[in-house]
Amino acid sequence: MMNFQKIRTGLVVAAVLTTAACSATMPPNELVTARSNYARASQGPAPRLAPADLDSAKKTLDLAEASFKENGDTSETKDIAYAAARGAEIAESRARAAEANALKDQTIASTRANEVNRAQLTSAELAKTKGQLATQGQALATERERREEAERRAAQAAADLAKFASVKQDPVRGMVITLSGAVLFESAKWMLLPGAQTKLNEVANALTKQDKDSTIVVEGHTDSQGGDAMNQELSQKRAESVRTYLVSRGIAADRITATGFGPTRSIADNASPEGRANNRRVEIVVKPKQ
Amino acid sequence: MKISFISIVGGAALLTVGCASSFPAPTQKLADAESASRSARELGADKKTAAQLNLKLADEEIEAAKAQMKAGDNRRADFILLRAKADAELALALAREHDAKVETVKAVDSSNAKQNATTNGAQ
Repeated sequence: MMNFQKIRTGLVVAAVLTTAACSATMPPNELVTARSNYARASQGPAPRLAPADLDSAKKTLDLAEASFKENGDTSETKDIAYAAARGAEIAESRARAAEANALKDQTIASTRANEVNRAQLTSAELAKTKGQLATQGQALATERERREEAERRAAQAAADLAKFASVKQDPVRGMVITLSGAVLFESAKWMLLPGAQTKLNEVANALTKQDKDSTIVVEGHTDSQGGDAMNQELSQKRAESVRTYLVSRGIAADRITATGFGPTRSIADNASPEGRANNRRVEIVVKPKQ
Repeated sequence: MKISFISIVGGAALLTVGCASSFPAPTQKLADAESASRSARELGADKKTAAQLNLKLADEEIEAAKAQMKAGDNRRADFILLRAKADAELALALAREHDAKVETVKAVDSSNAKQNATTNGAQ
């Protein structure tokens, strides 16, 4: 009985001693958490982005460790360890915020750079378009000036011709200069009379004032006296005589052609002498460039 | 003998009170903790899920520290305020982190919208 009591007392003492020993070596949860938090923070971006906060957490953790070593699992050790755990979390949070801010700054800078690039491209395109418009505008102005000059010269030429020939503006054919056949040729001949050359000199002078791009057609016409074949041939040769003379007076050969129509395009009654006289004619048609 | 026992107990009691009251009131630490809590609240920590808990803990710890100070245990109050300041500063950091992330998401969304507008405009 005595032995049993001694054994029981010994076990109780041993248990008490073991518990005391364990409680002296087991760190409080706050310290365990602080160690874990600090280790995690040290392996993340905090050493790079929040080094001061991480260092502060380390110093607090060291204080907690020292308190635990010196005083054991006291409320003060727990308080210090609690603050150390929070300190490590603060370092992690500030590092994450710094990462977010860096990403934001990078995004904004990239967006601005893109906007600047787009603005520069737009400016370049605008300048190019302006240049093209200026070129087109210059071309249009030149063309307008050319047309105005051509019209002015045509009007002057028409005024000069009106002194000895009939000059009419036909909306389809162009300017039509009509010269009487009697003024230019002897009857049934196609050789130009000496006086005709003077008139044709004036015509040539007027035609050189016309737009250089206009085309000229010399049309020969006869009355209905005589055979059609003969009249056709006569009108053709008279038109060619006039054309040849005008070319000799400086009208470009590739601008001017000759065509005989015989009596097919009468403008007056062939029954009367006056009508036949009017039908015997040469028409010089000046057609402006389309 | 009886007088002597009373003298010893009374002396011990006086010594304990004297030690407790010799620890200065942690007024500066209290002000620091309250300042951190106020800053966190101004940043909206009380409305942000991530920071709400720590701000609540800080406020409770501040109140607990005040109670300890009122009871004359300045030393205990001092250590409670260590917790309070840590929680308040963590709430502040978490609130700032939240704001930074929100701003970043806005910047990325804005950038994407501009990029899409440019792409669509170029089509």
